[in-house]
Amino acid sequence: MTDLHWLTVTEAADKIARQEVTATALTQALLDRASKLDPRLNAYITLDGQAAMDAAEDADREAAVGRRRGPLHGVPVGIKDIIDVAGLATTGHSKILQGNIATADAVCVEKLRAAGAIVLGKLSTHEFAIGGPSFDLPWPPARNPWNTDHHPGGSSSGSGSGVAAGLFPMALGTDTGGSVRNPASACGIVGLKPTYGLVSRRGVFPLSFTLDHVGPMTRTVTDNALMLGVLAGHDPLDPGSAPSLPGHYAAALDRGVKGLRVGFVRHFHETDMPAAPEVDAALTHVERTLQMEGAEVRTIRLPTLTEFGAVNRVILQSEAWSIHGPWLRERPGDYGQLARRRLMPGAFFGAGDYVKAQRRRREMIAEVEAALREVDVLMCASSMDPPCRIDRPADVERTYPRQARTPFNVTGHPAIAMLAGLSVEGLPLSVQFVGRYFDEATVFQVARAWERAAGTDKKHPPIV
Amino acid sequence: MDEEAMELLARRAGLDKALAEYRDDVRAAAMQAADVAAKIKAPASPAAEPWPPMRAGRGL
Repeated sequence: MTDLHWLTVTEAADKIARQEVTATALTQALLDRASKLDPRLNAYITLDGQAAMDAAEDADREAAVGRRRGPLHGVPVGIKDIIDVAGLATTGHSKILQGNIATADAVCVEKLRAAGAIVLGKLSTHEFAIGGPSFDLPWPPARNPWNTDHHPGGSSSGSGSGVAAGLFPMALGTDTGGSVRNPASACGIVGLKPTYGLVSRRGVFPLSFTLDHVGPMTRTVTDNALMLGVLAGHDPLDPGSAPSLPGHYAAALDRGVKGLRVGFVRHFHETDMPAAPEVDAALTHVERTLQMEGAEVRTIRLPTLTEFGAVNRVILQSEAWSIHGPWLRERPGDYGQLARRRLMPGAFFGAGDYVKAQRRRREMIAEVEAALREVDVLMCASSMDPPCRIDRPADVERTYPRQARTPFNVTGHPAIAMLAGLSVEGLPLSVQFVGRYFDEATVFQVARAWERAAGTDKKHPPIV
Repeated sequence: MDEEAMELLARRAGLDKALAEYRDDVRAAAMQAADVAAKIKAPASPAAEPWPPMRAGRGL
């Protein structure tokens, strides 16, 4: 039998429903694994073990009488620490918010609980989802379970590290410039940034109103689709929420890619930001695999990564300054240095810079929309390099912006990042698939075809 | 951006305390802002509107 800590969300939910495994046993196994591994991984900021065990006992009592709250009944989840969980502190991994106890669950947490999920605790992030990895904060940064000397990506660092290490089978992350997909890429798991507005952001500490997304992080594509099905839906109290009905995200999972048109945005990793040879080779392998599975691959051209990145930064930092300005004026020393440096640029933009960025953004959206009329899905790099060492600030600074995730925060299209292979050092390499608005089902379809062909869901880090 | 302009803008934004205690960080932020803003092309048409579109009565 599979170790309890490697059960997928789907497997765990099935076994709990059939009473082959209890939620109590699963939760206890994950708490035991956290006591063993988390001192090396730092995935948790707050571990709420007693509340999780109480919730697991409730879930087992309900399962014993045939009651199932929803598709996640009895399955544990970790929550990034910029998302409110009632009764626990939402710190943003920052001294600024230490002791900031949430009075209610964020809508995304409320939905997970309503579907039966058990909250284990709050997870490490880059400070306020922007400043990290940092060693000058009240908690240490999370580390990569494939090699704890390496960066797990960010900003949803604890979510990526913990899912990959088997501390929990699913987690919530947030993504403003790539922060679900970066740790998914670095830790070799599956991370989705849904269509902008598909998942409510109410109860999530904002970084940038027009770029923020909440997304599911899991070890398999099927689990990701399951989790999105729980999270998606209109929230009239979130001004960015889309007036759409949740889709059937798992509907096309096992249809394969025969006849699908895949647009490969090669210039992102070939000329805009030339990728490490191992990443380039992994992307070629994904392309050939999809062709062998029956997809038609075409080359697609979009605006450059440099310009997408600039538009993202001007918008993100302007909006973030409007949130953090008061604290940066009064308490600059309570931020870590990286957050201070990444949040203060907003003070130096003019209104014209912000409006220009938002006007270019609309043009860029039109260009991606035009491309997605020619093909069914886009494929491109996620990270241009394998994860670097966490203790070398120059390497972190060099590799952090070398990515192709921000374009889809700018445009709001759904984008998934996942394992594409392993480097010679045994570190995850990644690929990204991007779909039309609200067509997460096709993104999952292509991602699942690659996962099935390459067996990426069977690969776990060697940490014990 | 020269030092004088940086200081002027930082003070205008109320960053006096940060200037006194973390001047290098303020300078780095100012340089980053100038660099990144210069990388955005001008929109193709003067009539190009910003995102998100204005939609009266929505999201309130």
